[in-house]
Amino acid sequence: MKKLDRYGYVFIAPFWIIFLIFSIYPVALTFYYSFTNYTGSGVAEVVGLANYTRLLTDSYFLEAFVNTWKIWGVNFVLQIGLALLLAMIFSDMRVKLKGLSFFRSAFFLPNLITISSVALLFGILLDWQHGSLNMMLLKLGLISEPINWLNEPTTAQLSVSLILTWMWFGHSFIVVMAGVSGISKDYYEAALIDGANRWQTFISITLPLLKPILLYIMITSLIGGLQLFDLPMLLTDGVGSPDGSLNTMVLYLYNQAFKYNNYGYAAAVAYGLFVITLLFSAIVFKGMFKNERRKPGQV
Amino acid sequence: MKKIFSFLSIAALGVGLLSGCSGSGESGGSADVDLRVWSFTDELKEPITTFEEKNGVKVELTIVPIADYPAKLKPALESGVGAPDVFTGEIAFLKQWVDAGYWENLSESPYNADEIADNYVPYVFDLGKDQDGNVRALSWQTTPGGLYYKRSIAKEVLGTDDPDQIGEMLGSMDQVFDVAEKMKQKGYRMFPDEGSIRWFAQGANPQPWVNENNELMLTEEKMSFFDHAKTLRENSYTALAPEWSPSWLEAMDKPITVKEGGKETETQVFSYVLPTWGLHSVLKENVKETAGDWAVTSGPSPYFWGGTWLGVYNKSDNKELAYDFVKMMTQDDEFLTDWAKETGDVLAYNPVTDAIKEDFSDEFLGGQNNYEFFLEQAEQIKPGIVTKYDQQLDTLYGTAVQQYVDGKMSKKEAIEDFYKKVQNAYPDLTVK
Repeated sequence: MKKLDRYGYVFIAPFWIIFLIFSIYPVALTFYYSFTNYTGSGVAEVVGLANYTRLLTDSYFLEAFVNTWKIWGVNFVLQIGLALLLAMIFSDMRVKLKGLSFFRSAFFLPNLITISSVALLFGILLDWQHGSLNMMLLKLGLISEPINWLNEPTTAQLSVSLILTWMWFGHSFIVVMAGVSGISKDYYEAALIDGANRWQTFISITLPLLKPILLYIMITSLIGGLQLFDLPMLLTDGVGSPDGSLNTMVLYLYNQAFKYNNYGYAAAVAYGLFVITLLFSAIVFKGMFKNERRKPGQV
Repeated sequence: MKKIFSFLSIAALGVGLLSGCSGSGESGGSADVDLRVWSFTDELKEPITTFEEKNGVKVELTIVPIADYPAKLKPALESGVGAPDVFTGEIAFLKQWVDAGYWENLSESPYNADEIADNYVPYVFDLGKDQDGNVRALSWQTTPGGLYYKRSIAKEVLGTDDPDQIGEMLGSMDQVFDVAEKMKQKGYRMFPDEGSIRWFAQGANPQPWVNENNELMLTEEKMSFFDHAKTLRENSYTALAPEWSPSWLEAMDKPITVKEGGKETETQVFSYVLPTWGLHSVLKENVKETAGDWAVTSGPSPYFWGGTWLGVYNKSDNKELAYDFVKMMTQDDEFLTDWAKETGDVLAYNPVTDAIKEDFSDEFLGGQNNYEFFLEQAEQIKPGIVTKYDQQLDTLYGTAVQQYVDGKMSKKEAIEDFYKKVQNAYPDLTVK
């Protein structure tokens, strides 16, 4: 019996070896580099906590932190709101909307396009002088001068948020729908008989029962959102223009490492990002399940 | 039986794992390849075929797109695992690489590259040297810049389409603005965007961004870019089509609409400021109807933009063959003559260019001999002004100027913002 046990370890060894080489080793090496002034070539000199003290006083990192939250926050509210609204419509027993599978794939489609194509597409749509959006608004007489969407901090951030929403609401919608279809129809029938209106049904039945699903969406979206990089990188000059408003944390990390060759400092930025992600995931988790134990009987 | 089965499966897994490792360790290192070359374009494909036929060897070319090139090549060079024998470097990271010592020192014997220095365009040869003056990389091409314009518009507005005369009319920035004003009167725009003049803003006596004491040097001349760009914007001398944007490309061949001051105007762009390669890779690719209606002339000051160098990896175990390839690319009269005639690439190697420059003419430029023009420009370029910081500093500086042009910052604020960003990117530099 004992001998067989050992085989188990041998069988999982390939995974562990690969995991150690390709995941643990780079993470540990990055941690080491965060205490050095490594420039990508030559020798790494240990500089103690200098990179971390710099990180704490770095106004550009703070700016990146705030930007990332703003862009992700707006996107998340819109994305989850839209997904819930659509889920409400499609699951309504009184309306019985047809074509769910069609809409499900239609909403999900933007998620399948490579992000560089998305950036190119929206770059053209939002173009200052020749973009379709400005053309349309000008023709409709809503504006008299073309708006340089990607050249004003507010509109640039909003643009990124909306593009993200467009890309991800279908995904959230599918997950929410899966959650909704898991709720027993009995509750809704009971509510119907009791004379509850749509809003009451949604607030008192759908939403509480969807809580685990919503938590899942929120955490995955948060972790993905804090790593926002590709769109800001591709939409403007890649260093956060206009006015540093598209400077996100990972973009900042990337520029420090691969453009300015400050690998040591970039490693510290990476660990800063890691701590932030961990912290906020924990807060979200705690917040969502805070009152859970008190209402075991509630539906 | 069971035991044998488990043993076999473990062995299979283990072998799979190990072969995976060794495979990545020696990528491309198959025994029948004599020379490995890395580059970021397919430009070297044909030369490599020629080289293979001449020497009876097998060469493997790895092409990595420019955006990933430094990030992919650097680890290979650092560790020496899976590294190439010969690799090219673009101007954007050339200085960093020659100083890092990845390329073999070609000043030493048996290469003695310094002996052939006089055969090259001075600035091109100079750029391949490291901080101690040793030659690390060579280049076959020179990439001086010019100002490409449409002949028909020149004739209508300026009364001539002769490149020499137009060049004289554009001898200084003030003269450029005079011509721009004339263009505007007739309903044309001088440039596609404000960034067009950035090379001229360095003036006739360009200085490096960073001096030998590691100080950032924002000279008066460099700063004039702010005012010149603002002048272009305020007087509507540009078509508001930013470089590389779809409208920038489209305006080369077609009229373009500009929306400003609450109205739409249709106009045409007179000129594009581009270097040698701009003709083949940008203009010819995007222009159909107006082909033949173009010409190239000089702006207020000579400049160069881009360029590719190549050298031998210092840890290569086949340095002799590697240098043979570098030699063919940069010193072989026969090969370079064919290459120049076929591609129109402006060479940096004088023995060949002296022999062939007089016979060139380009249909696209209405039969103009752009080859001679560019060689003259190349001779005027001052060596020694490129630093390893240039690529990023130019981007940050361009952004600062744009902020000012768009009216979002005053000139003072934009410069302070620029200083702050430079200090953040390069903590080692002294920034005033």
